[in-house]
Amino acid sequence: MEEIFVPALGMAMDNVVLLEWLKQPGDQVNAGDIIAVIETDKTTLELTSETSGVLGKHKYAVEDEVPAGDTLCVVLAPGEVEA
Amino acid sequence: MSIPDKATSLALLREMMVIRDFEETADKLSLRGKVSGGMHNSSGQEAVAVGVLSALDKFDVIASTHRSHHHTLAKGFTPREIMAELFTRATGISGGRGASMHLGDVERGHFGGNGIVGAGVGIAMGAALGIQQKGDKKVSVGFVGDGGMNTGRTWEAINMAVIWKLPLIVIVDNNQYAVETFVGRVTGGGDLAKRAEGFGMKAFNIDGMDVLEVRKYTSEARARALAGEGPTFINALTYRYYGHNVGEKGQYRTLEEIEQWRTTKDPIDRFIKVVLDAGYASQAEVDELRASVRAEIEDAVAFADSSPEPDVSTIYDDVDSGMLGVQL
Repeated sequence: MEEIFVPALGMAMDNVVLLEWLKQPGDQVNAGDIIAVIETDKTTLELTSETSGVLGKHKYAVEDEVPAGDTLCVVLAPGEVEA
Repeated sequence: MSIPDKATSLALLREMMVIRDFEETADKLSLRGKVSGGMHNSSGQEAVAVGVLSALDKFDVIASTHRSHHHTLAKGFTPREIMAELFTRATGISGGRGASMHLGDVERGHFGGNGIVGAGVGIAMGAALGIQQKGDKKVSVGFVGDGGMNTGRTWEAINMAVIWKLPLIVIVDNNQYAVETFVGRVTGGGDLAKRAEGFGMKAFNIDGMDVLEVRKYTSEARARALAGEGPTFINALTYRYYGHNVGEKGQYRTLEEIEQWRTTKDPIDRFIKVVLDAGYASQAEVDELRASVRAEIEDAVAFADSSPEPDVSTIYDDVDSGMLGVQL
């Protein structure tokens, strides 16, 4: 199971906003696919999956503020079930 | 190159594995916001740290750079106390005040990492002057990156070390990129050892991905320094596998270039082959070594995570005179 999370990149990165989901729960995901786009105080970032699998639940909605380090969703390997 | 005995060789291999696992673990934790103030990952540069520090005596002095985890681990500090410092906890090397860039302990011969490009050489030169004036039988090592090679203060310190014949060893932990700038684009003359020779010192360009080569050149430099022959300059060519700082979205080099270094020159893979060929360990024993390292780093993370924050009442501790009583 791979967690797709908001990376803590700056010394004090506040106000990360989820801009867009590019994959929906249940979608097939391939390694390298963009899962979501977030906006920080400096830039927008595309969050990609390193593994292939099936997307789990969205833990945040578009326009939500997300704390740095928090998980947005998981990518499930074959046979895995979301907790 | 002659190979050290079995116990020494396995210790060199284990230390490089500790550094790699520590860095890759800390990198992930930093992205999760666990490491205050960010950090610089030294993965790929293990042979420089372990080669140099394994050739020194425990009382020898080092001064490091902004990228200092590998030097500090190889100096003999534990993953627990370094990880705790990254988490800014009271149990960290600097009591949780310094985080990743300020690992050090003067009493244990580590004059610290710092955030100033090229400063490590100046600090180490000062320590070398102190050693000489007291007549101590030890040396001082200043680490500097390739970025610090085009900084004035570095060469001022080197010049003084030459004219005073100080017991200083300058190690260029040359990972080839000053943040995003390739060393070849910004280095007049191109050859760092030749530049150092111009100051009147012994200088060498060596393979910084070969732990035994780094160890050999450092050992010889140390012997010259103790014999009163003055400083040595060692440019150890190495490569960092990750960005300048954790989370960097680098577009200044190709993925192919990184892959090429990782698959053909990796210091740990190369030394595992040396250990296997010498009959010092089987593949199964190497795997066991790696598993024991994994357990040690997991323990360090658990220790850091469960350690207390520094108490607010200690906020003025170490602000003044604390270093005056310390004997070099």
